[in-house]
Amino acid sequence: MGAIFYLYRRIFVNRVKMALKKPITYVYLLFVLLYAVMIPFSLQVMLEEYGMDSPSWMAAVLTAFAFWVIPGNLIAYAKRKGLIYRKSDVHFLFSSPVTPKKILLYAHLKNLGIQTVLNLAVAVLGALLFHVGWLQVTVYFVFSILVENLLEGGIMLLLYGAEWKSPKVRQMVVKGAYALVAMFVAVGIYFYITQGLSLASVLNFLNSDLVQMVPVAGWYIAVLHLIFTGPTAVNLAGTAAYFIFLAAVLWAAFRMRCTGAYFEDAMKFADDYEEVLVSRRQGRTDKRLGKRTRYGTARVTYKGTGAKALFYRQLLEYRKSRFFIFDLNTGAALIAGVLIAYLYLAEGGMGELTPFMIPGVSAYVIFIFTTLSGKWAKEIASPYTYLIPDTAFRKLWYATAIQHIQALINGLLLTLPGAVVMGMSPLTAALCVVFYVVLSANKLYALAVAEALTGNILGRVGRQLFQLFIQGIVIGFAFLGAFVGFLAGGLNLAYFLMIVFLTLATVLFMLAAALNFYKLETA
Amino acid sequence: MLEVIQLSKKYGSTLAVDKVSFRVPDGRVGILLGPNGAGKSTVIKSIAGLLRFEGSIRIQGLSSRDMEAKRSFAYVPEIPSMYEALTVREHMEFIKRAYGLNVGDQETERLLERFELLDKQDKLGNELSKGMMQKVSICCALLVSPKVILLDEPMVGLDPAAIKELKQVVRELRDNGSTVLISTHMLEMVKELWDVTFVMDKGNILGTYTREEVGDEDLEELFFQVTGSGKEEDRVE
Repeated sequence: MGAIFYLYRRIFVNRVKMALKKPITYVYLLFVLLYAVMIPFSLQVMLEEYGMDSPSWMAAVLTAFAFWVIPGNLIAYAKRKGLIYRKSDVHFLFSSPVTPKKILLYAHLKNLGIQTVLNLAVAVLGALLFHVGWLQVTVYFVFSILVENLLEGGIMLLLYGAEWKSPKVRQMVVKGAYALVAMFVAVGIYFYITQGLSLASVLNFLNSDLVQMVPVAGWYIAVLHLIFTGPTAVNLAGTAAYFIFLAAVLWAAFRMRCTGAYFEDAMKFADDYEEVLVSRRQGRTDKRLGKRTRYGTARVTYKGTGAKALFYRQLLEYRKSRFFIFDLNTGAALIAGVLIAYLYLAEGGMGELTPFMIPGVSAYVIFIFTTLSGKWAKEIASPYTYLIPDTAFRKLWYATAIQHIQALINGLLLTLPGAVVMGMSPLTAALCVVFYVVLSANKLYALAVAEALTGNILGRVGRQLFQLFIQGIVIGFAFLGAFVGFLAGGLNLAYFLMIVFLTLATVLFMLAAALNFYKLETA
Repeated sequence: MLEVIQLSKKYGSTLAVDKVSFRVPDGRVGILLGPNGAGKSTVIKSIAGLLRFEGSIRIQGLSSRDMEAKRSFAYVPEIPSMYEALTVREHMEFIKRAYGLNVGDQETERLLERFELLDKQDKLGNELSKGMMQKVSICCALLVSPKVILLDEPMVGLDPAAIKELKQVVRELRDNGSTVLISTHMLEMVKELWDVTFVMDKGNILGTYTREEVGDEDLEELFFQVTGSGKEEDRVE
């Protein structure tokens, strides 16, 4: 394993070093810390309110999780999916004299870091929220990192690495995994019929002996129950079955012949994965792993000349796309809009801050989640853009025009549900939508400004820092303007001032961002 | 020695390679020629162990899947893919460990210097240009001191100095008794290197030619004669 551990260690160390050099890492860390504090506190209130703060609920929650994860993993491995290989692995590792089994274990090891962090979080949450003893959570942590990983690694070797001649064997494993799900569902239906639907019946179902008798996944659940709720005849038998199964899997995995027939599937996965990564970096969210993007046939009539061609070409691409201009951001905006409406109805608003719920959520969604590099980023990377005989400003405008239309749709989806339940006036609702559109444009052009002014001098790190810096200042001033406007003339004046300020800043950003379109290399 | 025996490969219902057989002896340079879609990439990837196939491939008399065979084999793919978070030097170190090589730092540095990479040895994979990646890929392959080496379009992306160096390396490998198989479209680049040429089209080997047989005949002319592509008038400059 020398070469594999060397690879794993060096990649991990270098990635940490690279991440620590990026300012965005600290911003993300700040959010992770914020969530790490916020989530347990909000969960604690909820768990106490519903009387769920007990070790038996901890076992129940992990049981529900196992229903989802274990059959899913079995299906993924049987279909030779679920392991991440990169093109570099194909290049350097697959043709090297490292045994194919070790190469499988290397891919499995890649998840170890995140698994350790997640299991640690589960253990700590178990102790703090579910009042599980520290000894029990320690046993759980050691079990999940050592024993469960061994079993999963063994199953992965057997299913992913196996070289069955007939594809029917793989199909049988997949069917077997679905059968496990069916057994859990059948037990669930039995409890629903006999006990009805209540928190108590759900707890009884998840902690039932029947669930622990389901092969493989049920045996794992039996171990969890032994750790968290103490020994019973059934969970002791399930635990024994689990360890016998573990020994059998490890023995079979050790004995199994594996010459690397899976390389072909892994290579295809690596190609797909890299393609998805590249499209994500370009801000595209339509690409799915293992699914080839399908384009339909479409036509557009080009109207006008010069930079307008950029707009129509993008429109043609979107028309050929399955979901037209709608993407994950559209879904996120809709979910956020519905959540605002639900929170308002459930909580009765947020007092004095209620009028600012929609712009506040808009700012949060746009600043943190929305990817706005999109197609314009591809335009400035293409030499053909610079050959179009038109002004830089018009090129910028037409390269980004469709993204403003997307922002308008997303703004409507985020605003309308809340506006309706709050009984907002049409003018205020319209101002909320305009705020969303202008703020989106602001982020887009802030990125473009950072691209134009820092270019290749500071690299991606400098660009991110610069973009965060200038957009942070603008949003800060916009909210300051809103506050002053609210005190001076009420809600509409607050929105109006916010939008005027943002628009001015956005136009300034646009002028600076147009520099991108003068020449391929800007700085 | 590299032996490809009755190699067949299907993608779904499409037969990409149909019972292809050829052999490149020790100390010889083989060239795999063919138009786009001829099946060259499938043959190359099968030899490199990346595809499932029917038939057999033998490296130094051993099955290509055998670890001993892999130890004496090196592969330079058409498009190099570096580990983004590994430096050039760390790529070389990984190869040393993967192949269990007893190679000192001096040998590593000699190779890096030969391909003008010594000053780039601390650069990460994601900081390299395509040409540099290709050089790293070649250095990693040479570090193994392979008995059989497979080069897929190795000149693409290389600067003239590196092309000259690579040609010299190929000659040295041949003189040291290694088997070299090059798949390329750049016939000009290999015209003084080849010993045996395999012309492929539509998943079959159309002809095998040794330098002794064809003498001074131009490789390009030979290719067009065999494949029937490229009309004479198109080729007159």
